[in-house]
Amino acid sequence: MQDYDVIIIGGGAVGSAVARELTRYRLSVAVLEKESDVCTQTSGRNTGMLHAGFLYKPGSLKAQCAVEGNAEFDQVAKELDVPFKRTGKLIVGFSDEDRARLEYFIERGRQNGVPGMALIDRQRMDEIDPSAGGNFAIHCPSSGILDPFIYTIALAENAVKNGARYHLYTEVTGADRLDDGRHVLHTSRGDFACRWVVNSAGLNSAKVSDMLGIPGYVIQPVKGEYFVLDKKAGAFAKIPVYPAPTAKFTFDTHATPTVDGNVLVGPNSFNVEDGEDYSVRQSGMDGLQESGARMFKHMKREYYIRTFAGARPKHIDPATGEIQDFLIECRDDVPGVVNLVGIESPGLTSALPIARRVVGMIREREALVPNPGFDPVRHGIVRFHEASREEQARLVRENADYGEIVCRCETVTRAEIIAAIHNPLGVCTVNGIKVRTRASMGRCQGGYCETRITAMIREELDKAVTDVRLTNGNSYMFTGYVKGGGQA
Amino acid sequence: MKRTFTCIVCPNGCEIDAEYEGANVLSVTGNLCPKGKAYVTQELVDPRRTIASSIRVEGGTLPLTSVRLTSAIPKDRIFDVMKEINAQSVAAPTHIGDVVIRDVLGLGSDVIITKNVDRA
Amino acid sequence: MTHRQAVIVGGGPAGLAAALRLKEKGVSDILILEREKLLGGILRQCIHDGFGLTRFGESLSGPEYAQRFIDRVEEAGIESITDCTVLDVSADKVVTAVSRAHGLMQIQADAVLLTMGCRERTRGALATPGTRPAGIYTAGVAQNYINLQNIMVGKEIVILGSGDIGLIMARRMTLEGAHVKGVYEVQPYPSGLPRNIEQCLNDYGIPLHLSHTVVDIRGRERLTSVVVAQCDERFRPIPGTEEEIPCDTLILSVGLIPENELSLAATVALDPRTRGAFVDEHCQTSVPGIFAAGNVLHVHDLVDFVSLEAEALAAGAAEYLLTGSLPACPLEVKAGQGIGHVIPQHISGTRDFTLSLRVRQPMNSVSIVVRQGTQEVLRKKMRKALPAEMVQLPVKVARLTTTADMEVYVE
Repeated sequence: MQDYDVIIIGGGAVGSAVARELTRYRLSVAVLEKESDVCTQTSGRNTGMLHAGFLYKPGSLKAQCAVEGNAEFDQVAKELDVPFKRTGKLIVGFSDEDRARLEYFIERGRQNGVPGMALIDRQRMDEIDPSAGGNFAIHCPSSGILDPFIYTIALAENAVKNGARYHLYTEVTGADRLDDGRHVLHTSRGDFACRWVVNSAGLNSAKVSDMLGIPGYVIQPVKGEYFVLDKKAGAFAKIPVYPAPTAKFTFDTHATPTVDGNVLVGPNSFNVEDGEDYSVRQSGMDGLQESGARMFKHMKREYYIRTFAGARPKHIDPATGEIQDFLIECRDDVPGVVNLVGIESPGLTSALPIARRVVGMIREREALVPNPGFDPVRHGIVRFHEASREEQARLVRENADYGEIVCRCETVTRAEIIAAIHNPLGVCTVNGIKVRTRASMGRCQGGYCETRITAMIREELDKAVTDVRLTNGNSYMFTGYVKGGGQA
Repeated sequence: MKRTFTCIVCPNGCEIDAEYEGANVLSVTGNLCPKGKAYVTQELVDPRRTIASSIRVEGGTLPLTSVRLTSAIPKDRIFDVMKEINAQSVAAPTHIGDVVIRDVLGLGSDVIITKNVDRA
Repeated sequence: MTHRQAVIVGGGPAGLAAALRLKEKGVSDILILEREKLLGGILRQCIHDGFGLTRFGESLSGPEYAQRFIDRVEEAGIESITDCTVLDVSADKVVTAVSRAHGLMQIQADAVLLTMGCRERTRGALATPGTRPAGIYTAGVAQNYINLQNIMVGKEIVILGSGDIGLIMARRMTLEGAHVKGVYEVQPYPSGLPRNIEQCLNDYGIPLHLSHTVVDIRGRERLTSVVVAQCDERFRPIPGTEEEIPCDTLILSVGLIPENELSLAATVALDPRTRGAFVDEHCQTSVPGIFAAGNVLHVHDLVDFVSLEAEALAAGAAEYLLTGSLPACPLEVKAGQGIGHVIPQHISGTRDFTLSLRVRQPMNSVSIVVRQGTQEVLRKKMRKALPAEMVQLPVKVARLTTTADMEVYVE
């Protein structure tokens, strides 16, 4: 049985941030992730927004963590080599009712310590982004956009660099205690023992909490659907544009440029029973087309390149149905457990602040010895597309694989694909390569590069054709050879 | 008897209305050329098709080379011929026009290579 | 930076034919840049026969058709670099390309020939609802796996869209042992050629369901089923007609899009009808010295026509290179009633040229009429006209005036 000081259940952004922060100390740390990669669920299925923190109740963990996470992100992005732009954000209004609500949020932002928010008129909006809908807006300069895949991957890779172990395809099915109080976690890949468990299971956090001996929490998955628009539309989108919040303080469909130059339109928002059902509905997309066009004047069918859905695990009070704050707890009656429940938006922004609170709770209960070898810096794959012509020429001279373009739409080279295939987490799915390199994220959606990427996965990892997976579980790409027995 | 045929001889794909008795074509309309009538006549007595497929290449720059038939075979023998093709493999290099199976199943058509594949 | 008379972007059928004709016309300094390891373009994976009937009077497979051009290109000593991707073409005709062997190259060209071909429309562009499991392929991707890589993509197949590649793949996969359960087409008529409906579907008992589409995709890991439904005349699914079809593979054959990213980089103006460049009768785009032909200009039905168009391009490009200019083409050619698009969009009125066009919907017993002002230039009677078929109309200068725009319409 593998034995660790700390096991984190769930390798999303928060679980990976916890792993990374724990490796600052002399601890053996493992992450158990039931899926094929670290960002296949909530952490990879969102807007990629670095929130400012004006939406949340003053004094709440959501407010504290978002403001804290926002303030430090320039440094974090630099340390972990995460694509990030501090774009600011517009929250636009059309009516007097909207205006009153926007003024309320400026005041709330002031209380939460969000810097620089101001109400601006249409003329000023046109200077910032003429494509934005609305008659007036809050301009919030501290908001930003980041690549949620790369951020999650970067946290995980940095954790691994500093000694953490990742166990993919490892689903926790039950938990027991040994006589000495240590935990035994039963998983789809055998048993694991540890002194501390951190429940960072996202959509399954209530279920895992129950397994660990803390029953009674309720997670309501709230699903949202999105459109991804072509970079041609992205040329018009300069800044995230959100509508004025609804009466329930939630945001309807927004239009957000991505760090790579696409536009995300969405999400809508509706309760579902099964948060891991990521299908999109026709009615949802019809609605997004209509509401998206109010936020973004270039919301057109010709720009569609993909749809996707995600789900936020909302922690609700079962009695009132009301949405609760983040729950971060370490209870004396259930020792050795740090429980994270209902980590939803702004979870990406809050990942490191939450992780520090988790570490703090453990440190209150045992002395932690600093890890002198801890290195906070992680280097990502050098992207040909982002290099200047001179740098590109140098890259090809130094490594001929940089001279072979595999993905035409996103200009991703063989060198980048090979680096991604040999990633530190051992992810070997087609989608894993995609989120690490952007290959097949462009307008042809893999029409040109997918056949090459699957061939490279087979060659580099010596895999049989029937062992190539698109993403999670048994998502096999191929059924075998056309002409039997030959080398495919 | 009357029936409408879609001629497959060329990309024009003429829709041919034919009147016939047994194998005897009485009239055809809609064909742009005489090949249309010949096609209908053939379809009535012995519909024939060509097929294309691939065979394994040993030691080549590609795992497969492509093949086709040099002339049409009876439609109901297509899958028999596929079995013959599936049993074949060749060593690289392969050359366009090389015969892989001469007179396949005695049907009067050769299976020929249609792609050059170099040695790896 | 090196210098070339003509740089050809793409060594598929259009690029190869253009290169040969350029050489014949006396242009000596030609470079073909091809992103694949071998010349031939998409024909390399089109192993079915039926190519070359017009050109060679024979029914060849794609690789054979391509090889005839490749052999001649090699004999003519025309230089090509394979495994080489063009990153940028500028409006002043600087071509930036990269390859393993040559590194980053910048080439100043006197003329740039855009022959990049087309790409397939994807599920994302259709926004088909449902999950995103493995087992969804565009027809061309499936064709690449099956015909080039010896990899089978699935066993129980549903095909959405009746484009020619989808029909061809229905037959290919059936021959290789898969079970193709049906082809679903949202339009009330097929988008592929009638002969392909006949010899790829009917011959193998594969049903074609017109006015149907896929309304849901199911399965979280591998595809488990699709839901199809009948559509009304505005392509909206009709409630109550849904049917779930178990399958492990969905093949999409829902349209081809000219691949014009480099054209846009070069500030070439595109026609929203074709999604390719606006060109004149010399295949010259809105940027002088930049030419386009083949599927990058408009999607063709037959490769024979691609070769012809590329040769027309080469004639124009050679004249441009050797004389320094081309006759102005101030007259506009408009796609009128019943016409989907027309190529070229500009003419001089002083030379013969060939009109290429497609009709908007299937029609019987119609005439395609070409007019300049009040003067009828040409009238072609057609017993049937299908959007699947490209219509080619040679126009003689004797019938033209230089004073009026041209309109093409269906009567």
